[in-house]
This record gives sequence, structure tokens and C-alpha cells, in this order.
Amino acid sequence: MSNQSPERLNEMKSDDSSPVGVSAAIAGATQLGTPGLQERRRVPRRVPVISDTPPPPPPVPRLDDYGPIIGTAQLDEVRYLAEPLRGKSVKMVNSTAVGGGVAELLNRLVPLLNELEVHTGWEVMTGGNDYFEVTKAFHNALHGGEYTLTQAAREIFLAQSELNRKRMNFGEDFVVIHDPQPAALIESRKEGPGRWIWRCHIDLSNPHAGVWEFLRPMVERYDAAIVSAPAFAQRLSVPQYLFYPCIDPLSEKSKELDDGLVQKVCDNFGIDRSRPIVTQISRFDRLKDPLGVIQAYKMARKYVDCQLVLAGGGAADDPEGVVVLQEVMAEAENDDDIIILNLPPWSAVEINALQRASTIIVQKSLREGFGLTVTEALWKSKPTIAGDVGGIPTQVIHNLTGVLVHSVEGCAYQIRYLLTHPDLARQLGKNGQEHVKENFLMTANLRRWLLLYRILLGLS
Amino acid sequence: MNSLPADHAARQPAREPFHFSSSANLLQIGKEKAATLGEFLEALRRCPDGSIFQHTFRTLEEHHFIRQGFSNDFAHWAYNDCGEIGLGEKLSAIDVREFTSIADLRGRITATVEQHLQRNKDVAGRPARKAFYFGTSDTVVLPTAEVAHNLPEFVDALRRIAIHSIHHHFIEARLRLRLQSNDFSLWLEAGLGLSAYAARVNQIDIYTSTLEGVRQKIVSILEGALRKPLAATPVNGATQ
Repeated sequence: MSNQSPERLNEMKSDDSSPVGVSAAIAGATQLGTPGLQERRRVPRRVPVISDTPPPPPPVPRLDDYGPIIGTAQLDEVRYLAEPLRGKSVKMVNSTAVGGGVAELLNRLVPLLNELEVHTGWEVMTGGNDYFEVTKAFHNALHGGEYTLTQAAREIFLAQSELNRKRMNFGEDFVVIHDPQPAALIESRKEGPGRWIWRCHIDLSNPHAGVWEFLRPMVERYDAAIVSAPAFAQRLSVPQYLFYPCIDPLSEKSKELDDGLVQKVCDNFGIDRSRPIVTQISRFDRLKDPLGVIQAYKMARKYVDCQLVLAGGGAADDPEGVVVLQEVMAEAENDDDIIILNLPPWSAVEINALQRASTIIVQKSLREGFGLTVTEALWKSKPTIAGDVGGIPTQVIHNLTGVLVHSVEGCAYQIRYLLTHPDLARQLGKNGQEHVKENFLMTANLRRWLLLYRILLGLS
Repeated sequence: MNSLPADHAARQPAREPFHFSSSANLLQIGKEKAATLGEFLEALRRCPDGSIFQHTFRTLEEHHFIRQGFSNDFAHWAYNDCGEIGLGEKLSAIDVREFTSIADLRGRITATVEQHLQRNKDVAGRPARKAFYFGTSDTVVLPTAEVAHNLPEFVDALRRIAIHSIHHHFIEARLRLRLQSNDFSLWLEAGLGLSAYAARVNQIDIYTSTLEGVRQKIVSILEGALRKPLAATPVNGATQ
């Protein structure tokens, strides 16, 4: 697998005069009055250039491509696990073919299962605006949002499920239903001998009671349910398994990058790699606490030299994101060393490069699902400072695979500490990468699916 | 390896070949959940054996890359989420190698928590910062292609096998064998008569070494056997 993306390299020219397709904002002005820091090298700020259209998707990896990452022996284990499942069939059903974490996962998982001769198909729910408005409302309500479940909403949900049910066949050995939208397809269970699995990717720790009670009888007709964290489990009569979300180490966002490309991205964004770089990658959302990160940086900067990179997206199509971005720029107070990047959704390589260039990565979320940006940081062996919320402590074991913080002050202290204790920082990064390798990679996810199929067939 | 004497005793064929296996585990979320140490104690008493296994033996595999500060999930929770440092230390000091049955291990953990709560009456009902969710492991044992007929083959295979295989044979084996030993040491002793090396391998400290470190230490010990054996018992009439 090549690490190079020549097309992207060509696109990423830094040219003051041709800011074509720019979707970036950089705040820069006076530096803080930090004693002893006046001598540092200044990288001239330029208007960065990013392609205004998504790049073509890279080829889907094959199982052998993961060998250099997890080792031949672990790949062999995956093949052994798959052996008695050869020839079995699986149908995956979700609600969208593009966009979102589930589609991203299935785009990689389905080809790998097929390569192992576990014949896996993928179908997508269809429906009109009324149906998707209901399912969106269900989604938010299951996350704990306010909602009034009406009879009309129930009927729209069930009627569209019925139409989809009639459109699809369910003769497979396993039917895997992702998230609540297609949950009512369980009505077809009686049509075949297959095992039915409900994979819930969303946080069910505090669901809207009405919506959950509507869905629960459906879920209890499945053979098994899968959740992403123990806290997301509900009292159910069926076994519930834990599948962590995962990253693909061969994806654009996580693959190894040539250092020349990393340098090019930093040059493009005016980031000085000769000085420490503290980075938070996340959309401009108050729950990610970007203002807290800037405050922590300002506290830390009284003692240590560093730059702060806040990179993310979401401000283009999210009215609240625009407001948060403005607040972030105001909080940055024209500090030349705070680099704020509002990136388009197809900036995976740029984000990868920014993470790899970073000395420390921060994810100071106030609320979080699993926090895959943390997984990405750990995978790149970066010492990571993260909020102790959601799925983050599963990944960041305090003082072992990173550090957890609960306040701006704590975050500031840890930035100072890790920047001045590089050996500890290095060890945390190393442990973090091993943690991801063992538990949160696509290959670990594939292994879990194979295990579950075997267990449900009594092949353990 | 080529520089070693060809007729070295440690190169004799083993009585039986060693077939390397591995295991894969899937975590099932249990019914027990504890928000206080009092609830934790109750859950410890009634949770399935698989939960005790998951949070002690299995967690060592999940966190195999950490050398210090992590022993088992119970200790980690008591220390970090309950703020009970003394209890955390005591639970952390429980060494799974001393147990050949889950019942005994559960007994020790339960007694440790009970004693702590008896001495500290006010902590049983204090809410933890985060709840403890009991899980349990569904395990599938996997064959591998690796087979060793003698010590050199064994050492070569050790270098190649997955870390899960090391855990399976070196740590989980205690429960399967119901002996305070492991598959590797048993084979070294019974298959090759290398009792002293078997004992040295069994002494490797899994709490101060990563699993990769365990692998390296076993390889290092056995490379020593290939160079200069300690006292060895003859096998198949071979002189060692």
C-alpha cells in the first residue's frame, strides 16, 4: 500500500495568490507576552489551499494488507475463526449508504467478510422525508432528547418498515440490523432460520422512555444485541455483547503518511514543526469545549512554548457551528500561535497529517459518544489529554494510555507536564497505540463479528 | 542457532509434539452493575464465573502492553472510581497465578472487599464516580498451524505466535490445568525433561512484564537451554 497521495499533494500548493476552494479560517495576530519566546521561528501564515471537491475513494484494502500492522499470526487467527463460517450468508441493513460512521464501517467490513467467504450483502432502508424525520427524532430521543411520541410517528415508522420488509428477502444465515431505523424488520424473522442481531451504534444510556418502550419489544425478538459501551446496555431478555467502535488503520485518516506530506500540510497551514504543537481535532461544537482548550493553552503558555491547532469542520452546514467558530476566534484573541482550521469533510489526509505532526493531542470533550478522534490520536502514538466522559476512559486509561482531565486547569497542567516530560509522553503514546491495536482496530471488529457468528451457531 | 552443537540434548525430539493454540474472547455484558462498593460486593458474590475470569485473567490480555499500574478491573475501579486506594492496592496484589479455580479466586476477592467494608463502615454506600459493569467472556479456542517437535522448533514458534496464544498457554492454562503451572512449563518438563527450565519459565512475572515481554523472556530462557542446559531429566533414554 502506498503512503503517498500524489493527487492530493499536487492540490495542496501553498500560494497566497490562488486561494481556490478555501474553507479555512486562521486567526493570528499578537503573541502572548511570554518571556524568552521571542526568538522562535515564525512560519509565515498563508491562505491554505484544499481541494473543494472530495478526492476519489481509495481502493478497499484486502485482509493481507493488515498483516504488517497486526502480524501474520493474528491474521491467521482471523482466518481460523472464519473457517467454519465459510459459505454462510449475512445480510447487513442500515439506513444510509454514504456518510456517517455506520456506512464507513460497512464499506470496509463487508468486503473483508466476503474475502473470508462469509457471503455478506448490505441493503439500505428506503423511505420518504416523513419516515426519515421520524427516525431522526427517534435517534435524538434515544440520546436522551425531549420528544413526544405520537401515534402518527409510530404508524409512519411501522408502515415504512413494512414496505422495506416486503422489498427485501431474509433467507440469510445471519441478519444484522444496524440502529433503530430498520429494527422493525424483525417481523420477517419467521420467514427464515437465520439468526438476527441488532447492532446499536448509539448511546442508549439515557433513552427517551416512550421511544425505547416502543422499540424494546422488537429488540427482544432478536437473538442478540450489540452495544458500544457497557453503560449503553439496557435490561433486555436477549444477550448483549460489547463491540467497541473501531478505526481502519488503512483509511485515509489513519494510514501511515510520508513525512514530506506531513510537512507539506503543516507548511500549508502555517504550522511550525520546530516548536511543540498541541492539537484538538473536532467539529466546532460546545460539547467539545474548544474555548476550554484555548483557555488551557493560554495557561500553559505562561510556562511552555507551544502552538495550538484547533481543526475541524461542521461550521459550513451547522448554524450553531458558525456561532461556535466565531466564539473560538474571539477567544483566540488574534494569538499568532493559535491556528484555527475549518476544514471540509474530505480533509481526512490533512487531519491525519495534523495529528501526526502534533506533539500532544487534546480532546477536552464535555460529553462524548465513543470519541473516535481519541482512537485516531492514540493509534498515532500521540500522548493524549482527554475529558473523562463517554467512551473516552475506555480508551484513555489515566496515566497509562493517556491522561484524563476534568477541568481547564487540569488540561493546562497536563499540557505543561507532558511537554516537559517527553519520556512519559512517549510511553503514554506507545501504550495508547498498543491499546488501539488490541481493541479498537477494524481487524478487532472483524474478529468480534466472526466470534459472534460462531457463538450464535454453537461453534465455540 | 546454527552455531549450537547439533547433538545437544535440548534438541532431542519431545515425547509428544506441542500444538500451539490460541483463544478468542467476546465480551458479553452481564446483568450485574455496581454503583457502590456495597453493591459491588453483592454482585461479586452472585456474578457468573465468567465475570470473575473476564475482569482478572482476560483483562490482562486486553491490557497486555501495560507493565505497571494495572492488575485487574476490580482493583482499577476501587482505586480510580471509588477512591479507595487501600482496597485498590489489596485487590491489585491478588495474583491470578496463585489460583487454579475461579471459585477460589472469587473467594479471595470477595473476602478482600468484605474486610475492607468491615473496617470502613461508611464507604459501602458511597456512590462511585462511575458504575462498574460486570461482563463475561464467551471463549472460542482456536488451533494454529504451529507445532513443535523439539526445543528449537518450539522457540521458533514462540517467536511467531500471536500474543493471544501466549496468554492462552501461559496464563489461562492455569484454570484449565488446575495446576499452578502453564502449558509451556508442563511440556518442557514432561516432553523434554527440562525441569529446571520449566520452573524458570513458570517464574516469569506476568505483572511486571508485558505479554510481549513474557514472550521474550521465555525465548531467552530457552535459548539458554539450547546453549547450556541446566539439570535435565533424561527423556526417551536420551542423555542431557
